[in-house]
Amino acid sequence: MAETDRETSIQTRAVGDAAIIYASDYLNKLTGERIERECRRQFDSGRRTLIINFRDTELINSIGVSILVGLIDAAEQNTARLIFSDVNSNTANLFEMLGLTRHVSVAANEDEALSWVERDSAATA
Amino acid sequence: MIHPRILSSINQDEFFGRDAEARDILRQSSSAGDARGLVLMATPDAGASELLRQAYDQLFARRGDPVPIHFAFKRSDTTAANTARRFFQILLQQLVAYRRVNPSLCKTTLTFHDLLELALPSDYELINNLIEGFEREQGSERTLIDYCLSLPNRLHAEGRAIYPLIDCTRIGPFKEEVATGHQLVTELSRGGLQFVLAGLRRQTNDLIHGPDEGEWEANATLHIDSLSETSAQALLESLARRYGIDLNTPTRDLILQQLKCSPLFITEFMRAARGTEAKLTSFLACQRLYVDELLGGRIQRHFDRILQVIAPGAQIKRTLLRVLYESAMSETRKSSLWTWKKRLGVAAHEFEHVIEALHVYELVNSTAAFIEVNSESYVWMDYLRAHYRVEVSAEPRAKVVATTLLETLKRAPQTMTRKYRREAAVGLHSLLPQFNCQSVPASLFHYERFAAAYKGEDVTTIDEGLDAETELIQLPQVIQTSACASYSSTINCDHERCVVAHAFESAEYTDEDEVVWLAAEIDSKLAASRELTEEWCNRLAGFARESGFARYRIWLITPEGFSERAVELLNEREAFGSSRQQVQLLAARLSEDTEVVESKSDEYEMIIPMGVDTELIAASTVEKIARRVKFRPEAINQIKTAVIEACINAAEHSLSPDRKIYQRFVVEDDKLVVTVASRGVVPAQAPGQNGLSGDIDQNGGKTRRGWGLKLIRTLMDEVEFEHVDDGTQLRMTKYIR
Repeated sequence: MAETDRETSIQTRAVGDAAIIYASDYLNKLTGERIERECRRQFDSGRRTLIINFRDTELINSIGVSILVGLIDAAEQNTARLIFSDVNSNTANLFEMLGLTRHVSVAANEDEALSWVERDSAATA
Repeated sequence: MIHPRILSSINQDEFFGRDAEARDILRQSSSAGDARGLVLMATPDAGASELLRQAYDQLFARRGDPVPIHFAFKRSDTTAANTARRFFQILLQQLVAYRRVNPSLCKTTLTFHDLLELALPSDYELINNLIEGFEREQGSERTLIDYCLSLPNRLHAEGRAIYPLIDCTRIGPFKEEVATGHQLVTELSRGGLQFVLAGLRRQTNDLIHGPDEGEWEANATLHIDSLSETSAQALLESLARRYGIDLNTPTRDLILQQLKCSPLFITEFMRAARGTEAKLTSFLACQRLYVDELLGGRIQRHFDRILQVIAPGAQIKRTLLRVLYESAMSETRKSSLWTWKKRLGVAAHEFEHVIEALHVYELVNSTAAFIEVNSESYVWMDYLRAHYRVEVSAEPRAKVVATTLLETLKRAPQTMTRKYRREAAVGLHSLLPQFNCQSVPASLFHYERFAAAYKGEDVTTIDEGLDAETELIQLPQVIQTSACASYSSTINCDHERCVVAHAFESAEYTDEDEVVWLAAEIDSKLAASRELTEEWCNRLAGFARESGFARYRIWLITPEGFSERAVELLNEREAFGSSRQQVQLLAARLSEDTEVVESKSDEYEMIIPMGVDTELIAASTVEKIARRVKFRPEAINQIKTAVIEACINAAEHSLSPDRKIYQRFVVEDDKLVVTVASRGVVPAQAPGQNGLSGDIDQNGGKTRRGWGLKLIRTLMDEVEFEHVDDGTQLRMTKYIR
């Protein structure tokens, strides 16, 4: 994991109505706020389904978690759907420990998350 | 619980390093049965007086029988009668103060009339009778002294339980001055009282037995020496905080080494620093203050006072300084009594006085034939050098100041090096006595065999191999160890690293079984060469000859073992050779409680700045350490996360002046202990501090912050969060499962 020169921009990808946002290797205050900013930008642009992909995330601290909690709140307020994907076992344990998993869907991987989105879209169509 | 000060000079929580002794004094007060005294044999300036005062304050606050009484002899007590009168007054005053539960009465000036007014009704008649007796005995000094000094026994006979704490450390150094102290001690020992007697260690025999070799034995003796380095460090740091003096770790250690952990000198030095508002953050600043103190401050006053007692008069003082200095500068620092007497040029009685006093104050060590200047104390030697030059050689003071400063500055790194070398030593003094006729694998004493069998193997394999070895060495029973340097001034070696051990090869105490082990830890970055090994073998063999050791065994220890040619030499000389690793393995086999410094080899420390992502450096470090001790990957991640949280907590919640996070990782047999500390204060209700918030569902919704400590507690097995003297500290333990 790079300890310096961490990317200053967030990698995102649009798939249909959903946006996939890729979290960095260390989710702390700085990188958490970048995700938060990106999510809010997506909400503001009308996107109602966001997937945060944690495939690169090795470590996460409590400030990062608190920002994720803020995003869960923001998603509720925007009547949007938030899905976490590709969470490794350590991070999953942390989320479980802090009770996040009761408030957000956690998909095994991006494909599973997208399949949930498709299924929901089909149900509402 | 911290008690208010009554007689003590410093607060109880700032009195360091004497907890065990204070407990013994308190315990003695209530020990029943064979009533006798507890004797504190103190080195000069070790703080025995303050220990007694602290004990008094604690006993006063404890409010149990018996009544504590504290009396200290003073140098200003000009006559025995004056001492006795003061004793009588103080004893009654402290009795009334205790019974009235009014500590302030201990220090107030009270007349006998006041004492009677203040006495409890139940004590009134007794005190009145005692005062009448006191006034009645004024006619004869001898009977007055007897009457006053028997007061504890009179009170005891009247059913008043008292516990005298008698401080004789300030008694004059001459035998005739000890007489009153001896009389008091004799009285106390006759009366069936428990009591405590503190005296300078070279004077306590005279205090107890007196000139007539009285029959009295203490039921316990405590030795009050200089503080341990840990306690001295705590004292120094506490004074620095109290006086607002900046120190850093190097200067702290230098001060402690230079002042030899003497509580008196540490306190005086820091008071001087407060007076000058000096910042003690560089060796130069420390040594400048030190030299000022030597040549015009508290340290000078301390030694001036002593020399004034020993040699009153300018001329005799100058002569004494000259003789002391010249003896100290001689190769052995030792001269015959005859030489001293001739050079001092004083009458026999006066000469005896001078030597007796120098010996009592431990400025010299005197025997029946020789006098050796005590060169162990830097402060004393520096004072002697500087004042000889000013007062005897009449060198310009400014020049002495400058050269003393230069010398002490040049000495500073060497002083620290000696400390580091001492701390890094394997601990031969504690290891050798553990031999105790035990049998151990021979390879532990033969480097070549050990290297051939175990080099590059892990500890478990080595242990198994050693367990399976059939060739064993039976170690001797070591009965006494000393530094080689204590035997000979010509063998140039460290005290801790070159040791002579007198032993018997078996438990048979016969001439045939008598052997001397000469063990030396020698420096060598690589495997020791033949030349180096030969040099040490020759040095120790010469030492053995010089010391008259008939049978001896040389054991050399090096960090990395020995070269092939060096091993050949060791075998030719029938000497043993071990690497440091072998010694550590040996120590582990001899005793689980070994004090060999091995325990520190698994301790890591690091300091990181509070900054962006610096906690990752700590996490990365702890990961590497945890991997070495084979934690499971999941546990490693938990430890990393906990360390990250602890660092964030320290950075976020401490108003740290240095913006640094101090970390220690200690690997023990079954666990990893991580300590994360920071200086500064924790603001009230800092979320990481209370650690109350935790789950996302608390407060009816999703809490946004304050999970740090909760997380740590969940991830680690044991967590302790505490305020320390200068900040906060989080101690986290993870067990290896």
